[in-house]
Amino acid sequence: MYLGPILLTFVVGATLIALYFIPHHQAQEINSELLLWATIVYAFALILGSVSLWSVHAQRIRQRISGWPFSLVTLFALLGTTFMGVAWGIGEESPLGRFYSMVNSPLASTMFALLAFFIASAAFRAFRARNVEATLLLVTAIVMMIGRVSVGEFIWRGFPGLTEWLLDVPNLAAKRAIAIGVGLGAVSTALKIILGIERGYLGRTR
Amino acid sequence: MTWADRLLRLDRRIIFLLVAAGTALPLLMPVNLPISVSPRVEAAYQTIDVLPAGSTVLFSLDYEPDISAELQPMTIAIMRHCFRKNLHVIALTLYPAGPGLVEPAIRVAATKEHKVRNKDYAFLGYKSGFQTVMIGMGESIRQQFPVDFYGTPLDSIPVMRGIRNYGEIALLVNLTASSAADYWIQFAVGRYRKPMVLGATAVMATDYYPYLSSRQLLGLIGGMKGAAEYEKRMDLFGDARRGMDAQSLVHVIVAFLVILGTVALFASGQRGPAPRAEKPQE
Amino acid sequence: MPSELDTRLFDPGRINLLIGILLFLAFLIINMLRARAGHSFFIRPLAGLQALDEAIGRATEMGRPILYMPGLGDMSEVGTLASITIMTRVARKVAELGCDLEVPCYDPMVMAIMDGVARQAYREVGREHDYKVGSIYYVSAQQFAYVAAVTGMMLRDRPAANIYMGSFYAESLFLAETGNLTGAIQIAGCDKVTQLPFFVCACDYTLLGEELFAAGAYIGREPVQLATIAAQDWAKALAIAVMLIVLLLTAFGHPELRRILQVS
Repeated sequence: MYLGPILLTFVVGATLIALYFIPHHQAQEINSELLLWATIVYAFALILGSVSLWSVHAQRIRQRISGWPFSLVTLFALLGTTFMGVAWGIGEESPLGRFYSMVNSPLASTMFALLAFFIASAAFRAFRARNVEATLLLVTAIVMMIGRVSVGEFIWRGFPGLTEWLLDVPNLAAKRAIAIGVGLGAVSTALKIILGIERGYLGRTR
Repeated sequence: MTWADRLLRLDRRIIFLLVAAGTALPLLMPVNLPISVSPRVEAAYQTIDVLPAGSTVLFSLDYEPDISAELQPMTIAIMRHCFRKNLHVIALTLYPAGPGLVEPAIRVAATKEHKVRNKDYAFLGYKSGFQTVMIGMGESIRQQFPVDFYGTPLDSIPVMRGIRNYGEIALLVNLTASSAADYWIQFAVGRYRKPMVLGATAVMATDYYPYLSSRQLLGLIGGMKGAAEYEKRMDLFGDARRGMDAQSLVHVIVAFLVILGTVALFASGQRGPAPRAEKPQE
Repeated sequence: MPSELDTRLFDPGRINLLIGILLFLAFLIINMLRARAGHSFFIRPLAGLQALDEAIGRATEMGRPILYMPGLGDMSEVGTLASITIMTRVARKVAELGCDLEVPCYDPMVMAIMDGVARQAYREVGREHDYKVGSIYYVSAQQFAYVAAVTGMMLRDRPAANIYMGSFYAESLFLAETGNLTGAIQIAGCDKVTQLPFFVCACDYTLLGEELFAAGAYIGREPVQLATIAAQDWAKALAIAVMLIVLLLTAFGHPELRRILQVS
């Protein structure tokens, strides 16, 4: 029952690997074409997403599940933006474009700005000298926090140099080690999928 | 409950208030703390500075409003540098909300340096699909962007004359907060051998240090601090330098809170492993 | 690259990568043959995965849901594929114990696949009818809209356990810190190195980088799957050896060998 999808995965996966090594312009055109296909498939998946969004939130409103007014706002926004897009297009100056840049963008920026508060709160809780390793982490964190901003240089001229060393030597060494591990893990997972060893994505749990 | 215990259970809203005050005060009352230029930013500056006048620099400005505090001042500073050196600038964005930021940034930089649209720079606008666009531009820029952001055909834009693909581009500058940087390194640097300078958010920047040592990147500007360094190198006083005082004070507040938490921990006698979920049985 | 169209059938600058992939493939085949011949492989315990069962058990006892987040990656991200594998284990256990599972998704395609995986897991434990349609749902493909929806849900529904597995970006700390505030047991696994410190700070257990990819083999305990971990270890040993040799040769005045590590 799974032979068809596994074969398809193998053929597409092996083709894409081969295309990586073939710089011929026609091969690269095929590569671009395949990437376009992925975009088209994604567009169809968005229909599934919209259906899911609608059914989940409609159910929440019907059953008055906690937070249901938010679901109402979501569905209203879904219908409203769809209507704007269909009626007046999706250009920069269209109502949808303006809605995007005047409502969605500021909201996203506000959410991102909250990160500073979350970082401060997490740092206060996590950086405590419970043992030798945690103490090392704490001292390094303080040196980095002070040394990476102008005030560090104001306090001691050697701070920027010290933080550069911390970033360039211990930090980079650890990052490279983790990155090599991640890279090999990713190659291994990709090969397992292409060869049909890993079939979780087909819904097979064993 | 002792003072130490109370401090250890500090309501996080108090921390939030301190951070808010630490951000707002220096913006209202700037101190202008000193800034030194790091080797990575200096390398980025030099890469642009040595380009001969008339060379074309391609800017891929792949960010949206959420990241603009870090990357918008960077865009303006680097573009002003290019304009001062009489380099031609071609800009594009791979994010749908990008044009709303990129267009005013180019306009500000060009106005300050007395440069004219289409003669000194072109803005191609937004196109979706990272890899498709990057690979496609290797074949033909016109195929990916037949018209610019304002609807003018590329063939009618003087600054685009003779620019067919990456072959005519002297340098790629990518400012991003996403994996777009990885793709640009893979395609523009790897496949088409273009020199590249990267501007990234502070969180991301250290991920790209290995690319500097392998010379896949010629310069790296990280976060608002990097942008402030670039402004300093350009002898400008822009939004990044203005924001550095606030960033400094917030860092000091967080460092102070961390020290305070540790002092409270010692005073409460709760040292030892961090409390965490009970370990499950094998 | 010149403006002329490229007509080469092979990029010689990538020969080292090709050799690397072929070697990896060879390691994989050798270890799979060893596994078929009855060789047993050791895999060190991963506390984060061991904690999954406890977290699901705790949620069942408390009568609260489990929140499983597959990250913001799409189906081309290997981290997402690893997350799907871990989801198989979570869904089976949830189906066995009968607690609620909520999976808010960022990518509609990931949602569809997660839904298929969960249904199959319920079917395999004979509880197909207990599967709640709509428990795996699409939220938004906007990063911070997703954050707002999920953190809001965390604060309203107070899930007993939050499981973060996959590729996460700037939203990692928002989600993990809010989850920490609600007192949920939190288990994370992420392949994005930059985000790992945030998860380590705010979660009870964190799978670091490649541990996320090893999860499939660890969960299944199938010899062939474990063989892939052994192949990965061989590749890592080879990478270390090559780096050491190149480093020593460079130190002794033969930097030209560095070229074998350069990729075009």
